[in-house]
Amino acid sequence: MTTRVGIPRALLYYQYYPMWQAFFEEFGVETAISPPTTKDIVTSGCSRTVAETCLPVKIFCGHVLSLADKCDYMFIPVIRSMGKNAYNCSKLLGLPDITKAVIPESPPILDIEIDANKSKYSLYRAIYSLGRHFTKNPLRIEKATKKAWKIYLAYRQKMSSEGLMPTQITDKMCDKRHQVDLAENDSPPLLNIAVIGHPYLIYDDYINHRLITQVQAMGAKVLTPEMVSEQALDAAMTSLVGNPRWTYEADVVGAGGYYLQTKVDGIIGLAAFACGPDSMMMNIIQRRARQLKAPFLYLTLDEHTAEGGMLTRLEAFLDMVKRRKRGQSCA
Amino acid sequence: MRVGIPHAGNIYIPLRTIFKELGTELVVPPPSTRRTLDLGVRYAPEGTCLPFKLTLGNLIEACELGADSVLQAGGIGICRLSYYAKVQKQILHDLGYDIEMLTFDVSQNKLVGLLQLIKRVSNNSPWSKIISAFHFGLAKLAALDNIEKVIHKVRAVELEKGTANKIFKESIKAIDELSEHAALKKITTEYIEKLGQMAKDDRADPLKVGIIGEIFVVLDPFSNMDLEVELGKLGVEVKRSLFFSQWTKFSLFLNSLGIDEWKRVHKAAMPYLKRDVGGDGWESVGEKVLHAKEYDGIIHVAPFTCMPETVAQNIMPSTKEDIPVLTILCDEQMAKPGMLTRLEAFVDLLKFRRRRPKLTSGTRGNRENLSWH
Repeated sequence: MTTRVGIPRALLYYQYYPMWQAFFEEFGVETAISPPTTKDIVTSGCSRTVAETCLPVKIFCGHVLSLADKCDYMFIPVIRSMGKNAYNCSKLLGLPDITKAVIPESPPILDIEIDANKSKYSLYRAIYSLGRHFTKNPLRIEKATKKAWKIYLAYRQKMSSEGLMPTQITDKMCDKRHQVDLAENDSPPLLNIAVIGHPYLIYDDYINHRLITQVQAMGAKVLTPEMVSEQALDAAMTSLVGNPRWTYEADVVGAGGYYLQTKVDGIIGLAAFACGPDSMMMNIIQRRARQLKAPFLYLTLDEHTAEGGMLTRLEAFLDMVKRRKRGQSCA
Repeated sequence: MRVGIPHAGNIYIPLRTIFKELGTELVVPPPSTRRTLDLGVRYAPEGTCLPFKLTLGNLIEACELGADSVLQAGGIGICRLSYYAKVQKQILHDLGYDIEMLTFDVSQNKLVGLLQLIKRVSNNSPWSKIISAFHFGLAKLAALDNIEKVIHKVRAVELEKGTANKIFKESIKAIDELSEHAALKKITTEYIEKLGQMAKDDRADPLKVGIIGEIFVVLDPFSNMDLEVELGKLGVEVKRSLFFSQWTKFSLFLNSLGIDEWKRVHKAAMPYLKRDVGGDGWESVGEKVLHAKEYDGIIHVAPFTCMPETVAQNIMPSTKEDIPVLTILCDEQMAKPGMLTRLEAFVDLLKFRRRRPKLTSGTRGNRENLSWH
């Protein structure tokens, strides 16, 4: 029987799944993905963690629980840093340890630490320590790593050049049944609305109550951080706050800054309740939007968010943006 | 230059001393009150933590008193502190205070950075003067913490409740006003002796409760609603390893020589949390593990939504080392009666546990991890 590695469909999954999948495939290892978030997943995750934990981590624990008896290993990497002097949030750093503490029945956790502030050697060692679970041959590990990295770059490139969302690519890869039908409408969209925030909020249809679909149904084209190249995100971020302090700051500050520069019709900022970095970063974008008099809607999500309330706010926001645009074009 | 500072426990005393010695004007805002917090809550992003809101309130009050620049901690790190200065500066600018933000880096280049900052704001005073002022400031901080360590013991066993606090307040005032370095040692010993001569219950064997958590709320009595004083009233001896003087001693000097005061604590945390998660999260887990046998209970204090402490809070109940933990999360919604009720209940639990130690050995696991909300 082949070894199965569990990958929870939460947090970093949206950014890195194709890369991870390619890496494990090289060793003939099967990857098991948890199903899209459901009410049961959220409830089970909430029941294990302390109440003050942020929603994404609660959901992550729910996904781990749903996979616990379906795989031999659980893959929970720790991305400490992806750039100089920028670190990740505490909860992502403590993720394997939190999982071990709150879900003791989880299969053995594969945790590797990626830290761009350390030497290249420590990166090699981290990847080798992961590959060693499946092969003793370092050359095979190297080959798998190179292939995985290439796939990641291609994935990122495809999203920014074709304007795709991660789910449009990954869903085809891992689950044929769950394909979001995003057939382009023939008539050109009325509005361009940017949705900024971390991928695990934007692309998880359960926790954001199908925000993207809803906005599209209201006749707007949705733009997300992944549709912008990394260079453009970094440039926008640097002009706004200087050097970033958090690893995934580009998703929020970079994307927000970029879409403010390119003058989209409105921006929706999506944040999770109790998220530390978002509480600061969204505020920076909010202030900037206010200075530029650009429409900005700040939505905070938690496990109690009701669809009705969110829809009302979305409709009101889009109506406001539409009226504003009409007013501008008349003048 | 009129430099405004935020409050954090007694940190204004060494700062005031250093600036006074160098002839720079320091604007110490009034002690934190409900108004300070309300100001902070009104202008801060709603999801930020209590230390952000409270220090923002302090800085606004300092600006009202005419500060033209403000000092805030910052640096590269994992927790939100690295963004305090950037966001607070924007908020103050939007409020119409055209101030300069001076950032003291607490993550790297600490000692040199701090000294250079002092040199800048003190109008290029000579290094000899800066170093002697700095030395005096740190000595005051150490003296205060030495007295506080004695206070922790005395509060639990004093016969007339409140005496130790009165002496502590007197000593803070005396040390704050002191302008000669030579007299500091004498004053400190005087107060420690005074505390030693107080009427105490000699037969008492007070409960020992460790205080762990996020450094700002642990050390700022306004934020934690005088937690230690209240524990003293309940006859509990407080044990803690976080002190500002200890931070300055190690982070500014000894760490660069390779001496790490937290090594033991980190080692203890290893089986449960393998890496630094920023702030004091790693230390919180380690201290629980390390002191499980020595203390009767532990009170874990953290700001609401604190990133590192939430990690610690999730991990602590799973440790093998068993000790009751009460987590108190501090935010602007907190009210004192609620906290007192929980403290009383917790102390009752600890008394009960001490009387019947067999009941709690091992088998009951971690049911005694209590949480605030």
